[in-house]
Amino acid sequence: MTMMIERSLKYVDERLGTASLARKTLRKVFPDHWSFLLGEIALFALVVLIFTGTFLTFFYTPSVQEVTYNGPYAPLQGAEVSAAYNSVLRLSFEVRAGLLMRQTHHWAALVFVAAIVVHLCRVFFTGAFRRPREVNWLVGVGLLFLALGEGFTGYSLPDDLLSGIGLRIFYAVTLAIPVVGTWVTYLLFGGEFPAPDIISRLFVFHIMLIPALLLALVGVHLAILVLQKHTQFPGHGRTERNVVGKRLWPEQTFKSVSLLLFVTAVLALLGGLAQINPIWQYGPFVPFNVSSPAQPDWYIGFLDGALRLGPPWDLTLWGFTISEVFWPAILFPGIAFGILTLWPWIERRFTRDRAEHHLLDRPRDTPVRTGIGTAGLTVFFIMFLEGGNDIFGVLLNVPVETVTRILQWSLVLAPILTFLVTYWICKGLSRSRLRPAEINAGVRLSRDHDGGYETVSLEPAEGEEKLEPAEP
Amino acid sequence: MTDSDQGSERVDVDRQSGTELTGSQRTAERRAAIALAVAIVAGVGLFVVYFSGGQTQVEGILFAIAFGGLGVALGIWANHLLDAREVVEERHELTSGPAGRQAFEDALVQEVGPVIGRRSLLLKLLAGAGGALGLALLLPVLSLGPAPGNSLKVTPWRRGSGVVDEEGEPVQLNQVPENGFLTVFPEGHEGAADAQALLIHVRPGSLKLPPDRMAGVPEGTHVAYSKICTHAGCPVGLYRAESQSLICPCHQSQFDVSDGAKPFFGPAARPLPQLPLGVDDENILVAQGDFDAPVGPAFWDRGR
Repeated sequence: MTMMIERSLKYVDERLGTASLARKTLRKVFPDHWSFLLGEIALFALVVLIFTGTFLTFFYTPSVQEVTYNGPYAPLQGAEVSAAYNSVLRLSFEVRAGLLMRQTHHWAALVFVAAIVVHLCRVFFTGAFRRPREVNWLVGVGLLFLALGEGFTGYSLPDDLLSGIGLRIFYAVTLAIPVVGTWVTYLLFGGEFPAPDIISRLFVFHIMLIPALLLALVGVHLAILVLQKHTQFPGHGRTERNVVGKRLWPEQTFKSVSLLLFVTAVLALLGGLAQINPIWQYGPFVPFNVSSPAQPDWYIGFLDGALRLGPPWDLTLWGFTISEVFWPAILFPGIAFGILTLWPWIERRFTRDRAEHHLLDRPRDTPVRTGIGTAGLTVFFIMFLEGGNDIFGVLLNVPVETVTRILQWSLVLAPILTFLVTYWICKGLSRSRLRPAEINAGVRLSRDHDGGYETVSLEPAEGEEKLEPAEP
Repeated sequence: MTDSDQGSERVDVDRQSGTELTGSQRTAERRAAIALAVAIVAGVGLFVVYFSGGQTQVEGILFAIAFGGLGVALGIWANHLLDAREVVEERHELTSGPAGRQAFEDALVQEVGPVIGRRSLLLKLLAGAGGALGLALLLPVLSLGPAPGNSLKVTPWRRGSGVVDEEGEPVQLNQVPENGFLTVFPEGHEGAADAQALLIHVRPGSLKLPPDRMAGVPEGTHVAYSKICTHAGCPVGLYRAESQSLICPCHQSQFDVSDGAKPFFGPAARPLPQLPLGVDDENILVAQGDFDAPVGPAFWDRGR
């Protein structure tokens, strides 16, 4: 056994010279904090997406050709449906473990985007995007966009009534692009809605173009992370010049694999027990039918809500029309995501802070940034709520008009209020000098340049009170 | 606890094997073993379920138990059975430093400069050829869709088109009861997305339309509007007869049927275009022409 390992290591090293790199990698140090696992959750949801998604492609037919459904789902028997819809019904009702795979895939997509968003919030509120990590911030924002695109294209593939309506709205949004909207729309959709090519094109985007970019960017994201080493929260012995944490092998590897297994377990449980996107209840897409209430997947909710909140203002200039859809669905996301993308540079313009940072901020210590972040989240949250205005109207027994009016006013007032309250809370916390309990061992190992380790005592930094370690 | 003398003492980082397990470690090991055993049982259970026909819920639960059991075992292993010490690693300089950059710059000047510096004509032509080829390579993009032309401004409705329902059956005057409505199409284009229209039988005398538009409303009660919302294109599928208003279920735009389907609430800015109707000798509804405006959501050259 040992002999075999030795021989194969020798074989690889003699050809690729990887032994010393591999040894270094095993000993690489990662800081330990629960919030650093959020990005990993996204990564592991992506792993589940790739495996379940591959299974789905073996059964899915990307075609709108009309066929007659004659599967086991009685209410639709004899119905004229598209080949795409038919194949998803077959996958759900006739392929063994097919429904589990499909539902797990859908749940994993929801968790994937959610984990990305929460991870992005962590990076934003702790200032992890500051120099030298601006490039990785850009890569991360790119990943968010790709994830949204991947989600929307996948959601539209079953060619059911609900997603067909979503596609129709997307068509209206691309039509609303000034100057080139009509052409862009016709090139993208292959003609006037509902052009027959759109489903096969969505399929190519969903299983090839976007995943290829997504995986490439994930690689870049992780490579930059390894190159720059992870950020860490301030604490005893932690400086801008070092990384304090656990080694890749064994601690981090065990923890990460354990997390991968937990993420998979939760997604499998959701996929098995929690019904999602029951397209047989929505029915096949028919361009003159519509269902009510109609809500998209959660991450598109803000955009649907923005469309519901939008003002009924269209504009005609020299005979050309700017649609009322332009303001909420193109201009607003353009500005919001533009600010998000450029945030590291926007913030630097005001703070004039060009220094390298490897120690994270605590949100309370940067009340303006934290306030802007929560205000921005409030904007998205109000739009998300408006995306369900019809449901709230029924639940609360108030006219849907009232819900919309209230949320329109909230959109103006709530972000300002959120900013002020956040700022006040941050200032208060900062003044109170309350610090989260730190659990530090009294002794640390320090890795020196030869790859060996030394023990280092943990003398409290100057000016700080000595904290008793919580654990011996 | 802290002992400054240890600061320079090297320690062996390899996990020592064969050391005595403490009591808590033994407990942890037992728990991890149980978790792994549960995972094995769930894995075997999956075989049974699959070969006995499959059952989505049970499969989900068993998968969750199998993955979860493995996860628990590894988690316990990580937290209790590893010699998990905090380790300090020094960061290295990210930059190559001024000297390194200077060296690279010199290399650029020495290696790249001589190669391209004296070939400025060729370089310009190379850029030109690259540009021309690059643009030519974009041409296939134009094959992705037809030119929009006039297609967004017209529908299959023509003067004399028979009004039919989605099955293709002709629609007669008074076939739709008062306060009722029906989705209609031009004969021969049943189901056409851009031609869908709502025929609404309104209460007599309730329509407030100018005379030229009333001319397209047989009996003053059979009015037809495009069913495609002028906001984002959803079918406007909800009708409130008592207020004679249409509601789009997607974004809740509301249109006043009595007043030319003008929007009075929600995000839509333009009225639903009207389809002028008439009646033939057999009391069957026919169109007098296409809609009075482009149907559906706005686009750049809509008004041109």
